[in-house]
This record gives sequence, C-alpha cells and structure tokens, in this order.
Amino acid sequence: MSIQNTTADQQGQPEVLLDLKNISLSFGGVKAITDISFDIYEGEVRAIIGPNGAGKSSMLNVINGFYHPQEGEIWFDGKQRTGMKPYEIAYQGIARTFQNIALFKGMSVLDNLMTGRFTHMNKNLFWQALWKGPAEQEEIINREFVEHIIDFLEIQAIRKTPVGRLPYGLQKRVELGRALAAQPKLLLLDEPMAGMNVEEKEDMCRFILDVNDTFGTTIALIEHDMGVVMDISDRVVVLDYGRKIGDGDPTAVRNDQTVIDAYLGVSH
Amino acid sequence: MSADFLYTLEVILNGLMAGVMYSLVALGFVLIFKASGIFNYAQGVMALFAAMTLVGIQTGQIPFAHLINAIFGTEMHHFGWQVPAFLAIILTVGVMVLFAMIVEKYILHHLVNQEPIILFMATIGLAYFMEGFGDIMWGSEIKTMDVGIPSGGSLWLEEYTLGWAAEGERYWGMYIDKLDMVATLVAVILVVSLTLFSQYTKTGRALRAVADDHQAALSVGISLRAIWVIVWSIAGFVALVAGIMWGAKSGVQFSLSLIALKALPVLMLGGFTSIPGAIIGGLIIGVGEKLFEFAIGPMIGGATENWFAYVLALMFLVFRPQGLFGEKIIERV
Repeated sequence: MSIQNTTADQQGQPEVLLDLKNISLSFGGVKAITDISFDIYEGEVRAIIGPNGAGKSSMLNVINGFYHPQEGEIWFDGKQRTGMKPYEIAYQGIARTFQNIALFKGMSVLDNLMTGRFTHMNKNLFWQALWKGPAEQEEIINREFVEHIIDFLEIQAIRKTPVGRLPYGLQKRVELGRALAAQPKLLLLDEPMAGMNVEEKEDMCRFILDVNDTFGTTIALIEHDMGVVMDISDRVVVLDYGRKIGDGDPTAVRNDQTVIDAYLGVSH
Repeated sequence: MSADFLYTLEVILNGLMAGVMYSLVALGFVLIFKASGIFNYAQGVMALFAAMTLVGIQTGQIPFAHLINAIFGTEMHHFGWQVPAFLAIILTVGVMVLFAMIVEKYILHHLVNQEPIILFMATIGLAYFMEGFGDIMWGSEIKTMDVGIPSGGSLWLEEYTLGWAAEGERYWGMYIDKLDMVATLVAVILVVSLTLFSQYTKTGRALRAVADDHQAALSVGISLRAIWVIVWSIAGFVALVAGIMWGAKSGVQFSLSLIALKALPVLMLGGFTSIPGAIIGGLIIGVGEKLFEFAIGPMIGGATENWFAYVLALMFLVFRPQGLFGEKIIERV
C-alpha cells in the first residue's frame, strides 16, 4: 500500500500548502494574535517559535479550526476557508497533536489509532450495525494501514495496552501515531517534545524527520528547544506578543537582532 | 432438595429478573452520562413517552386528539385501524430518533461547555415538558401494552420443578413470570449488541472517543453534534425497550416514569460510567431487595422493597463512592 503523499515540487518555486493572510484573533478585549501572515510550503517542516504567551498555540488552533480569527484569510490547498468546524477541517486533511496529551485514555493504542482513521471510513450506521459485509471490509483495510503506522513508530508491543497506562514519552508517540493515521496533508505538532528526556527527544526528532521524508507530510510544529528547532526545521516563524517578529531559514532567524532581543530581553 | 432451599432459589431467580428490569432503565442513564457527562433526569419520562407512543401508534390513536377536538369541536379519537406490533415498534424508534434530534438542536447545542448542573436542570425541564406533551399527544388515561409478549407464570416450569422437592414436603413448584424471562433475554441481547457495537465499529469508537476527550475527538474529524444525536437515539431506544417491558408488566401510566427512581441506587452501586456496572448493579439490587424482603421482611412488617435499594446504595457510597465499576477518582497533588 502506498502511503506517500504528494511531494513538493522539487525544482523551482515551492507550492504553498497553507497561506495565512493578516490573521487577527482576540478574546473579548484581549488580543491574542495581531495581523500575522505567513505561509507553509508543501513538504517542508515549518517551526513556530516564540516566548510564552506569544500566541503560538492560538495560531495552531486557528489553523486547526478551534478558533475563528476575526480578521484575515486562510487559504488551504488552494481554497479559501470560510467558517469551518474543526471536524470538517480534519476531513480536509489537517491532523494535530496537543500540548497536553489529548489521547482517548480509556481506549487501547490500536483503538486510538483506528479512531485516527475516522475520516477515511465512510460506511454508514446501517452497515456498521450489520457489521458483516462492507463495514467489516472497511475495518480490515484501515486496520492494515494502522498496522503500518504501528510498525513505523515501533509500538508493536503495546498495541493492546490502554493508553492511560503508558509512560509519558510513549503517549506522545501514540498521539503522533493517531495524527499520522489520518494521512494528513498538514500535520500540526504542539510542543511534541515538551517534558521529554534527551533520549525520548532524539527518538521523536527521528520520527518527525522520517514522517517528513518517507510520507512527504508537511509539518508545522511549535517547540521550545532551540537546538531541536534549528536542527529539524526548514523555515522558522517567530512570534512575540501576538505579532510576527521574524520569518526565514533557521540561521537567518538565529542571527536576527529582534529575535535575540525577544528571547534574551533588552536593557532599556 | 428441601423446600426452603427451593423457595430461596425462586426468590433469587425472581430477584435477578427484577434486577434486569432495573438495569434496563439504568443503562439509558449510563449511555448519556458517559458520552456527554449529562445526568439525564428525563430518562424515566422518555420510557413513559416511548411506551405511550408505541401504544398510541399500535391502537391507531389520533395524536393530539383532545386538543383538536377542543379547538374544532370535532369528536374523533381513533383512525380506526390497528398497526401490527412490529411495525409500531419501528415507527416508535423513528419517533425517538426524531426526539433525539430535537433535543440536540434546541437544548444541547445551546448549552455546550456549560456546567453539569445547568445541563442537569435542562433535563429536569425536559422531563416535565415531555410528561405534559405526552399527555396532550396521547391522552393521560391508563393504557395496556400488548405487543405479544407472553405473561403469567410458566406452567411448564411449575410442573417440572414440582418433583424437585423431597417427598412429603409442601411445595407447589417454582413460579417465574414468562414476561420476566423475555425481559431478561431482551436485556442480554441489548447489552451484548451495544457492547459489540461500541467495541468494533467506527461509530462505537467515536462514541468512546467523545466520552474521553471532546477536543481530541473533534481533531480527528468526529462531529460532536452527530454523536450526541446518536447517543440520545440509542438512549431513546433503550427507554423504549424499558417502557415496553415495564408497560407490559404494570400498564402504561404516569408511575412508569418513576422507574427512573429505581435506577438511581443501581447507578450508585454500579457507577455512572459503566455499562457492565449498570447490569451488575441492577442484579445486586434486584436479588438483594427480594432476598431481604423474603428473609427479614416478615420480622419487621414487610414493605422493605421501597427503601432497601437506597440503604444498600448509601452503604456503597461510604465505601466506594465511584461505584463498583466506576472510574477511579484520583486527585494528584
């Protein structure tokens, strides 16, 4: 089975998968995001960084449809988005993980990943209730795909374990697996390495790069560990107090004076 | 076997079957509570409403007949036809699904992310609304439910067990109501199919996913609104089954809605979030109250069945507040 997504246009101008134009988001009187624009190319790893409270997670929630910005345009895969619900956006091919793991704790690893296949299963209630026939066929096909993901993430041994019982690092990996099971065009990772030890971080880095290489999945990630960000991302966008203060490849961003000031503080 | 032993066995068997009837009601509560964290006070009234609708459709009653007659001065009550039980049940299921959609659209949808107590209040309002609505729609007189379930004691069992007692003892065979047997069978089928459905289908997994984490469920493409309609439809279906069984046993009337009160101790015992808990809890309460009435009742003047279940549930609350199968409440500091 081919699980290759459409790959980026290798030569010439890269294709834009997601384009955010002048996004502003506020809660009551509090401005979370002010006039931010950036784009994500097909097939790249795009990092969103910034100090605490910079609006990174809000940005992800906007992309994912949890928040609806008051101003600005969102273009995904060549189409403009208009007031879509989060579950409809999942159908468009955007999957995500959460900062505080949001797995289905009572369910096994396998069931969590199968739930990730939700958008790819479309037999209606009638067939499901009947079980034999089309619905069973569909289960088998999707189960096969989920087994690929399990192999890929090296979690064969825990496939039947309820995820609530797994250690933190493995839960993070299962959550990545659930997002991958959806075969997303765009994968959003909200601090995939937060709270991990060095070894777990290295594993996660490897998986993220592998996902990008082998499946060609476009990835947008929020991360605090600068070393990791510089290593794995193609381009970085820097936010501070809800505004964009830097955008470009890792080396350029690292040497940008505004970015350095935002992170280290400036003496007045 | 001694007659005493056989009497006790009979009491236990009858207790188990009464327990199944309690479980049927408790099941509806658990389904909705698990999926949406709402304690649905209206579950009992839903059972009454479903039973009234079934009888109404079956006997060809004209809905809102009293209202229509009062407004237009007409004198009509029946269409003049009888609908076969099977077809009437299917139509009633349709009505309950429609009801689920209306509840989602006009109540739940507007109360997303509200405190549980507010949702609870909403279901209280819903219960009283449905009670009145059911009366206006189908009339408030007591109706008999006849969908062809056999009732009365099983003569075959009585004769069969007659020979079990030792020679010369006063024993007339075991009395078990056929209706109870059917109810048990139906409940077992219902629970097994619900469990299989929630374990092995896409929608079943989605139901469990929503019970665990709303945000994550949305992010994988599950529509909460669709799931709520499905959950309330299933709860409506369970209410219909409970309504049929209880209605066939004791008539379709207002007191049918009070069976919800019998489900409360079952839920305390079994836990609000566990389907097996609802079943085991029901069985324990059923057997417990029948045995207590049989063994201790005569000494203290009888009528213990009214309160025994609550006392048992209170004792459980002291030692295991989350119920037998409920999720453990662990607070990390």
